Amino acid sequence: MAVKSIGTYDFPSRSRQELYGDDQLVHLWFQENPWFCAAACFRAPKAMTWGDFWTALVVPYAEEDPDFDPASPRVWTLHGEQFSPRDDQTLEELGIGHKDVIGMRVVA
Amino acid sequence: MSTTAATRPVGVDIQESETNRSVVEAIEATNDGCTVQHMPGLVRITAPGRLVITRESVEERLGREWETHEFQLAIVSYFGHIKEWDDDEIVIAWDH
Amino acid sequence: MTIAPKAPRKLTMKQRYEALTRDLDWDPSYVAREDVFPHTEFEGIRIHDWSKWEDPFRLTVDAYTKYQAEKDKRLYAVLDGFAQSQGHLSLTEASYLNAMKLFLQGVTPLEYQAHRNFAYLARHLNGPGPRFAALCQSIDEMRHTQTEIHTLSNYNKYYGGFHNYLEQHDRVWYLSVPKSFFDDALSAGPFEFLIAIGFSFEYLLTNLLFVPFMSGASFNGDLPTMTFGFSAQSDESRHMTLGLEAIKFLLEQDEANVPIVQAWIDKWFWRGYRVTGLVAQMLDYMLPRKVMSWKEAFELYFEEQMMKGLFEDLAFYGITPPRHVEDAIGEKEILSHQVYWVLYQFSHAAAFTTSVPDEEHQQWLAETYPDTFERYYKPLWDKERKNIEAGGRHFVRGLPQLCQVCQIPMAFTEPGDPTTICQRESVHKGETFQTCSNGCQWIFEREPEKYVQAWLPVHQIYQGNCGGPTLPDVLQWYGLEDGDGGEYKGSLDDRNWTQWHDAADHSHIGSEA
Ligand SMILES: [Fe+2]
Ligand SMILES: [Fe+2]
Ligand SMILES: [Zn+2]
Repeated sequence: MAVKSIGTYDFPSRSRQELYGDDQLVHLWFQENPWFCAAACFRAPKAMTWGDFWTALVVPYAEEDPDFDPASPRVWTLHGEQFSPRDDQTLEELGIGHKDVIGMRVVA
Repeated sequence: MSTTAATRPVGVDIQESETNRSVVEAIEATNDGCTVQHMPGLVRITAPGRLVITRESVEERLGREWETHEFQLAIVSYFGHIKEWDDDEIVIAWDH
Repeated sequence: MTIAPKAPRKLTMKQRYEALTRDLDWDPSYVAREDVFPHTEFEGIRIHDWSKWEDPFRLTVDAYTKYQAEKDKRLYAVLDGFAQSQGHLSLTEASYLNAMKLFLQGVTPLEYQAHRNFAYLARHLNGPGPRFAALCQSIDEMRHTQTEIHTLSNYNKYYGGFHNYLEQHDRVWYLSVPKSFFDDALSAGPFEFLIAIGFSFEYLLTNLLFVPFMSGASFNGDLPTMTFGFSAQSDESRHMTLGLEAIKFLLEQDEANVPIVQAWIDKWFWRGYRVTGLVAQMLDYMLPRKVMSWKEAFELYFEEQMMKGLFEDLAFYGITPPRHVEDAIGEKEILSHQVYWVLYQFSHAAAFTTSVPDEEHQQWLAETYPDTFERYYKPLWDKERKNIEAGGRHFVRGLPQLCQVCQIPMAFTEPGDPTTICQRESVHKGETFQTCSNGCQWIFEREPEKYVQAWLPVHQIYQGNCGGPTLPDVLQWYGLEDGDGGEYKGSLDDRNWTQWHDAADHSHIGSEA
């Protein structure tokens, strides 16, 4: 259904990718961990490697959880499917797009 | 429908105050089967189907003239539908 | 023979109302009606007879001003007495004022927006009855704005968090929740606004929104807030009536209006309900002396009065209870805990403080929420206690994912599963958008063109529009000062409060601030 309006109604998204230059927003969802009330939202270059994404962005954020252990085995999910990112792959190569949600679950 | 407009509760919340005590007493006297409940700062009166506030019964208890407009100083909230508000009475009831 | 003029007979309320409201209306003769009222057709609502709109209050200007002046006189007498007697010292605790900070930052600016939009309705509705009722409401809402500011300014002299509420309403992340809610309504047509604010906000949810604040004030020694609250609420009964008259009028005018109105109820129930999450946590976590739990308030004011009262009445017109209402009912034992957990870990970027609920408080939570608190939320507070003992205090070191519609951090969980966060995703013109619930997703997908424009605080920070890239930059842009946010224990308010209550000589009070 379209918006009912008195005139033409056509406005750009206020969070479209081009507003972030070569970067994009990436969400990281701490599944089964209620310590973080919501998924995190990061701004990261599309060409950033997974290794850098992990050390520069995720770890400093996740360390706020006293039980965080960077070495724990984890299951990763993207677009509803599991995937296994390698440290040298870029976000773009991994198929992680603007505003995507990456699921992260620690294997018990 | 599980209830009818004739029995489904309606109610009004009134600020607890000296003047409003007469208003509350008047409502109690006018409406058989109503329930009065005290909440912080408030008096809540509910009744099945219909609640009436009459000028006459308020004036009787207040000992002075009281116009129904003055009820606006007392009311905090209500549930139901204000069916009538004229010089002599205010009626809260559901339509359907 | 001359006939002496008859003494003027006193008009009845009905006659006076007819004479002073409806009889002042006229039919335009040299301009088309559509040119005088250009905004009442594009929404698809059909009105055949505007004179059928009833205003049961039958207010006229003289009666309106007389009683409003009386209400103000009473309120200001209380405010004076409070200020003269150092009334702020008789609050239960300074932390109580967090509820009032939230109110001033989040709600007062909405009163002003309501004032603006009802003024617009007072101009644009075709019928003289609703125009006059909207005019009165517009003036009421201005009065609410002013009396709330005056009342709470008494606290601004002594406590943090009150000094920059207007700018903060436009800028700070959690305030974008109420702000965007109201902006959504303001940018709709006049009929949708009536259903959004007049009906859904002022009738359906009003008791959940306002009565808890006022009762909380009454229980926690906040006489001025209680007084302005009841004073404002007495106008609210007229606003409720306007909302209810509006919906009945639309439904009775044309059957084709029914599905349009139903969709608006569906949308605005959920929009409003999401905003009440802030009230839920206020009731269960912010009040030092508890009034009633969110669950109790929800059952009484919503399930009893609205589901079993109002919607039975509206069923006559073919209106059904709001879509997704089951999800709201299903959340009543988890909502407040989830929202407070969000505010707790982000209060370093807020103009209120939070703290771990103490032993007694947790006991109350466990008794009030026997099925959820100990199972899901107490473990978090236990962990946080240990964390604090180890020298930490949980503040998130970054930014959260937000819902594209309600703008609340995506903390809500799947219906029926309080341990899994609810992630909903929609794609519009190739771009991905997330929402927090079935309700918000449904709203997004109904009008994606509208919600893609959302000013999401997190995205705006990342785009560099909020003062700069670092947290201190953003906090400065928010106008936050030391003592406004963070942890309550050891805060400026806490320290002052203790000092004022320990001191034998109170003459210095206020000079610290
Ligand atoms: Fe208001
Ligand atoms: Fe209002
Ligand atoms: Zn949402």
